[in-house]
Amino acid sequence: MSLAKCLEILLKYYPSFLLGIRTTLIVALSGTLLGLMIGLLVGGFRAIRLDKTAAGYKKVIKKILDVFARIYIEVFRGTPMMVQAVFIYYLVYTNIIRWDKMTAAIFVISINTGAYMAEIVRSGIQAIDPGQNEAARSLGMTSMQTMMGVILPQAIRNAFPAIGNELIVNIKDSSVLMIISITELMFQSNSIAGTTYRFTETYFLTAMIYLLLTGISSIILGMIEKRMNHSRTSLPQSDTTFSSISLAEKGGKA
Amino acid sequence: MSLIDVRNVRKGFGGLEVLNDISFQVEKGEVVCLIGASGSGKSTMLRCINLLEDIDAGSIRVFDEEISKLTDINDYRRRVGMVFQQFNLFNNMDVLNNCILAQVRVLKKDRKEAEARALQELEKVGLRDFIHAYPSTLSGGQKQRVAIARALCMDPEILLFDEPTSALDPEMVGEVLNVIRELAKEDMTMVIVTHEMAFARDVADKVIFMDEGVILEEGRPEKIFDHPEYDRTRQFLSRILQ
Repeated sequence: MSLAKCLEILLKYYPSFLLGIRTTLIVALSGTLLGLMIGLLVGGFRAIRLDKTAAGYKKVIKKILDVFARIYIEVFRGTPMMVQAVFIYYLVYTNIIRWDKMTAAIFVISINTGAYMAEIVRSGIQAIDPGQNEAARSLGMTSMQTMMGVILPQAIRNAFPAIGNELIVNIKDSSVLMIISITELMFQSNSIAGTTYRFTETYFLTAMIYLLLTGISSIILGMIEKRMNHSRTSLPQSDTTFSSISLAEKGGKA
Repeated sequence: MSLIDVRNVRKGFGGLEVLNDISFQVEKGEVVCLIGASGSGKSTMLRCINLLEDIDAGSIRVFDEEISKLTDINDYRRRVGMVFQQFNLFNNMDVLNNCILAQVRVLKKDRKEAEARALQELEKVGLRDFIHAYPSTLSGGQKQRVAIARALCMDPEILLFDEPTSALDPEMVGEVLNVIRELAKEDMTMVIVTHEMAFARDVADKVIFMDEGVILEEGRPEKIFDHPEYDRTRQFLSRILQ
């Protein structure tokens, strides 16, 4: 392998690489965001615990939808995304609508990521101390208000590293979507390698580009995480208890 | 008519009878302390009043309504504040927002109004200077005072305290009990589960001693503490007052 050759390929084919990078980023970013939405819905629903006093029909509906959620998660985590991509693309293309490949790619990566996100969100919610739920309910908040106002914001913050991890995974794993020939980075690399017959140099460049993309993403995710944890250390100045309320003679201790 | 009227309540957890035919009343403005050994059913009783647990048999009437048949549980809970042993503050919000959230979401107040009320209650518990602090930076005693302020912001007609000082370091117990004493002076109706006997004697209008899921005796604090009827009560008190 020669670095000079690498540079030559890069200079000659950088527009193709850039196109690949663009597609990869679009697919990975939208897949992660849409996947997060799916995860919030499915994972949030899975985490709901109905009151014992809830109406019977609600319990039945919840049970049935729980089963569907489980099946969805197991199927999409348990099969390769490459298989999902070809299967879903052709299934829809031949039976329903002649959709374009980019739409299919984003659909597949979103629904695949959603399965993982659902589990991330569910475990994030379940990790929140149930006392906070009780406190919110005791103030008269509905279960929905409690979920949206108290539980979910904390669950998302706690789960943020795992959520960010999905973006990194998607940047790399979107490469399997070349199977339905969308022009992402791996697909472009294959074309370039096929043209130049310089496989080592081309894929070395490809690896470096992936590393750069995931590296930059890691840094950005780290900055967002830091920001989320920021501003929670404001320290109080003084405690006015003992000036405003005098201690009773007897004291409080038994 | 009593504000809280508990009659013949039974509650079990998987075969274990936690509440066994419990009856008692709480009048408006009264402070009732539930005392007894751990596992005697005090906290469970309190949680049943706030519908955090449901009962197997009997009746609990509050504001002259059977609470198990309420159509709007959230409105009922708004009127009955609860303070927990573990404070249960919302960790992702500062002190001020802890006190504002439910006012805005449940009472539909605008933020300004809710903030004014929150400041008023935080002033009362001596934490006016801490409004922008996050729960993780507060001491246990401060957290519990925030929790009390948060409950007061909802204009509750009854306050339930579930061992409010049991998770505190000894030197912080006093500051929380003092806040509760102040509330008692304002004739807030309160039901307090506590292990602080001196406090119970001082603040309670009525003390209820629970043992193994039943109310063994109840009455004025002087009666329970100075002239208990049962050996079991005497035994408990002597052990805890050592």
